[in-house]
Amino acid sequence: MLRSSKGHVIVRRLIQAVPVIVLATFIVFALLKLVPGDIAVTLAGDNASDARVAEIRHLYGLDRPFLVQYGAWLWKVLHGDLSTSLLSSEAVLTSIARCFPHTLLIVVLAMVMALAVGIPLGVAAASREGSWLDDAIMTVASLGVAVPNFWLGMLLVALFALDLNWLPATGAVPLGESVGGALSHAILPACALAAGGVAEVTRQLRSSLVEILSSQQVRTLHAKGLSPSAILWRHGLKNVSVNLLTVISLLFNRLLAATVVVEAVFAIPGMGSLIVNAAIHRDFPVVQGVVFAMVLIVVALNLVTDILYNVLDPRIA
Amino acid sequence: MTDGNFTIGGPSRRDILLLAGGVALASATGLPASAQEAAKKGGILKVAAPANPSSLDPATGGSGADHSLLWTIYDTLVEWDYETLKPKPGLAKWSYPDPKTMVLDIEKGVKFHDGTDLVAEAVKFNLERNRQDERSNIKADLTSVAAVDVTGPLQVTLRLKNPDTALPAILSDRAGMMASPANLKTLGADTNRKPVGAGPWKFVSWADNESVVVTRNDSYWRPGRPYLDGIEFAIIPESATALRSVTSGEKDMAFSLPARLKPVIDRSKQLRMIAAPTLYCVQLYFNYARAPLDNVKVRQAINFALDRDGFVKATMGGLGEAATMTLPSTHWAYDKSVSTLYPHDPDRARKLLAEAGFKDGIEITMGGYNDQDSVQRSEVLQAQLGQGGIRLKFTRGTIPEISAQFFATEKKFDALLSAWTGRPDPSMTYALGFDKGAYYNAGRECDPELSKLIQQSRESENLTERAAVFARIQRFVMENALSAPIAFQYELDALAQKAEGYKADLLGKPKFENMSLG
Repeated sequence: MLRSSKGHVIVRRLIQAVPVIVLATFIVFALLKLVPGDIAVTLAGDNASDARVAEIRHLYGLDRPFLVQYGAWLWKVLHGDLSTSLLSSEAVLTSIARCFPHTLLIVVLAMVMALAVGIPLGVAAASREGSWLDDAIMTVASLGVAVPNFWLGMLLVALFALDLNWLPATGAVPLGESVGGALSHAILPACALAAGGVAEVTRQLRSSLVEILSSQQVRTLHAKGLSPSAILWRHGLKNVSVNLLTVISLLFNRLLAATVVVEAVFAIPGMGSLIVNAAIHRDFPVVQGVVFAMVLIVVALNLVTDILYNVLDPRIA
Repeated sequence: MTDGNFTIGGPSRRDILLLAGGVALASATGLPASAQEAAKKGGILKVAAPANPSSLDPATGGSGADHSLLWTIYDTLVEWDYETLKPKPGLAKWSYPDPKTMVLDIEKGVKFHDGTDLVAEAVKFNLERNRQDERSNIKADLTSVAAVDVTGPLQVTLRLKNPDTALPAILSDRAGMMASPANLKTLGADTNRKPVGAGPWKFVSWADNESVVVTRNDSYWRPGRPYLDGIEFAIIPESATALRSVTSGEKDMAFSLPARLKPVIDRSKQLRMIAAPTLYCVQLYFNYARAPLDNVKVRQAINFALDRDGFVKATMGGLGEAATMTLPSTHWAYDKSVSTLYPHDPDRARKLLAEAGFKDGIEITMGGYNDQDSVQRSEVLQAQLGQGGIRLKFTRGTIPEISAQFFATEKKFDALLSAWTGRPDPSMTYALGFDKGAYYNAGRECDPELSKLIQQSRESENLTERAAVFARIQRFVMENALSAPIAFQYELDALAQKAEGYKADLLGKPKFENMSLG
């Protein structure tokens, strides 16, 4: 039964993903065309005359009707071609393949940090609910939500990179080139990114755990003579695992978006820098390509989450 | 100070650290960097560059920020003097046997990076491509050229439609960057990312928004050059981050930084600061083809209401030069007599407005950009003009968006707060900004007298004679207040102590040819 329902979920999700992808890319494309600004002016260069701009528009097919341009893009995508940047002629797939690992590394690292710090804090706060420890943890967690990550990033750089010289202040190194280099470059941005995540994990975990720990079921477990730590770690956490999974998947999506600012602060050539630069210049093949990739990632992530729900709690079908 | 640059800095903490480790042999002498032996060879210079290049093909690119990268790969037919931008021979020496003929005599034995010879045929190929290819963005620079003839193995003769003595300066820019014809022919339309030139360094790689890497050209035609084995550009658009990369020692240099970062550079002991004037002029563009700025008195009122020195202090931390015309005071064609036309005089501004029929002041719609520096400029401007009775209604947006709305077909706003990035020859500045139909002349109209003067400025080969014509042009433009120049931005660079030999240039587009690592 489990197997067939899992297969069902996957197929249903994949079918749902198609209109999501088309709609998302169409809306972004429409937005790029609707807002003022014209890439032809950028392409024509500093000295451009009106005639030259018109010529460029024709040369790059920018004078075709809106739907024709979108259709042409979609047609290429269906044939596995994300086309090339209008600005720099780099293949969009090449850009994404190079930028995405940088972004993924700091997001995953931030995620690991958020969980590694957030889970113990949340458990500690919940198991001593109402104590000074609980209050202290919740205060820190509130701060974590309130602190802007770019500001935290700059503070971290000032301390750990400029003053102490422990870690690099800017840039990124691909994992394939040097694992140590990649990690040392990723630690500070990941910390800046993780602060909000730590706070969120802590708060969510605490409130779900508090609810579970005050339930009838836990009272029964106490009555059975189970030790408090066994109740907390074996029964408590198992019951909040679904909630935690929801928090994790939402957090992951949010961190992917939040890297835009952190990447700028740390000069990381990731997906955020890629799409910002492209959007400013209306380089729509690149914007479209990044949006397309991001939608795919989010859809895949949600799919994995759904499957895990099913594993953690078979009642969710 | 004699070279127009001033350098600020002291012994670096890193130097001291290195000394302690016994590594810094060169600085162990205790002498300042300038007193040491001639430039050392070798080493890779790591540079934070402010923008991803638009293309590494000089003909198809469009951004003024490309030049610093292009100059490492391509040598130009003509070069310029760093301080005044006076043209001087580069790959070629030029002469004008008559006003409508320009002869280029090419340096002997120059080779492109692919081993092919840089001879007359190659120069002809490049010039023909630049002026005719449909992908070329610099056709407008070479409109005066009627034909390019090969008149010797190392000699090219340009037949001109009309006298054009701006050509030497034009050939010091994109149009004069020589690319390997063999490479261009193989690449077809795919020339943006695989550059082959004859410059001091060869292209290695370009990853969008990340890096551009070049390595030494061992068969470079200038003996003993370049000093550096290579340059690695990291593209860091966020200027504060770029500066941090130098402070932390990851990069050796960051260039074209905004003035607001000057205090940060000052604070950092391990950095040297270079600041020097450039042609980059923050200014107001007017659409003077329609009301209310078709009235010269209103335009003059704006010029009188501007407190240019105050603007430099408030928005540039003092790192700038008040602009009284479109050329800075160090430029070879600068004319001092024009500089006194518009002293700061808000009362005079109000009087002019009243004469123009705006007794209670006037409201002007103005476009502006939404980056941090532009917003600050617009606020200072609003306050200054307000005192002269000129109320500004700002619309802000991204640079391409607002610029297109003002200059292209929409014709929004009466005026635009923007900048002129400067051109190697002043005649280009006036032709592109004020001549009839020019893109940067939003109203597209031009007084025939000015058109004639612009043409005349390209007729003599003699710089003194040309300067005299430019003086008349500057006077005409400023007396008619066709724009309101405000301030020239300084080129601001932060360098690690070991990065030596750098000098800023008046064009504001750094060259790295004289640099070495100490």
